[in-house]
Amino acid sequence: MAKGEYLGEFEHIVLVSVLRLGDGAHGALIRREIETVTGRSPAIGAVHATLERLERKGFVTSWIGEPTAERGGKAKRHFKIEATGASALKQTRTTLERLHAGLALRSRPT
Amino acid sequence: MRPPFVARALIAAATPPLDYASVAGDLCEEYNARVESAGRPSADRWYWAQVARSIPALLSYSRAHRSFAAKSSRIAIVLIVLFAMLFCKDMIDRVIDLVDPRGPGLPAWLYFAIDWTDAALFGGILAAIVRSAGMRLALVASVALVAAFALPVILGISPPLQTLAWFLLLGAVPAMAVGAAVYQVLRRRESGSI
Repeated sequence: MAKGEYLGEFEHIVLVSVLRLGDGAHGALIRREIETVTGRSPAIGAVHATLERLERKGFVTSWIGEPTAERGGKAKRHFKIEATGASALKQTRTTLERLHAGLALRSRPT
Repeated sequence: MRPPFVARALIAAATPPLDYASVAGDLCEEYNARVESAGRPSADRWYWAQVARSIPALLSYSRAHRSFAAKSSRIAIVLIVLFAMLFCKDMIDRVIDLVDPRGPGLPAWLYFAIDWTDAALFGGILAAIVRSAGMRLALVASVALVAAFALPVILGISPPLQTLAWFLLLGAVPAMAVGAAVYQVLRRRESGSI
């Protein structure tokens, strides 16, 4: 993977969430998914800033949907993962598995 | 149900224009779900916490990707606005010298009010010229301005500044940001999107 294509920790979490939710995931749904699965409550601004960065790297694409009443008449921006994004996730996972191989994790270093 | 106005205005001021509808809509969607499940006070608290934590991230990016020429023209616009702001301040100082020729006989708050209004006004003008990143550019411009004045002092090239002068200078950063924020909020209020 070229420099600049690596996934940061939060980028990784957001990208996996987009993959879990399937095509058409939007910011609020992605934020809730992260909260439900990781127990961490990210700011919606951080989620959008990360999605914009992932889109710039070509890992996701987005499109604007229709405005709805429960959103105060504002449209959703939908996201879907691209082949390069899936490949980056696979690469990150492989790298992490290689790094973890043979390690016994302890809660405190001895 | 609509979230608190001031919090919505802050989001309108800080969010990049191309993402404003999706960010504000996402917050509104979750806010309404929380009003249903936990009541309005709890939803208001959640909304305020989200706004406070989101602003730094929202100011950190702009969805509009620009060419080198467009980026250069933005730098030129920032410089022109900063020079216009300093020119305006110089003109005001000359008028003050005419009114008060013997020195600082006017109250200190008047100098603060004049300088910070000047900065806020030009922050608003910058946001009006560069609509896609007004708030971000106003912050960058004011920090550049402060650095241009403060660095020679810190490096010992220029004579040291008095405490009041430091306050006047450092106050330009929030003043320009407030000017840009007010412009963006007024624009979005006019279009009915807040």
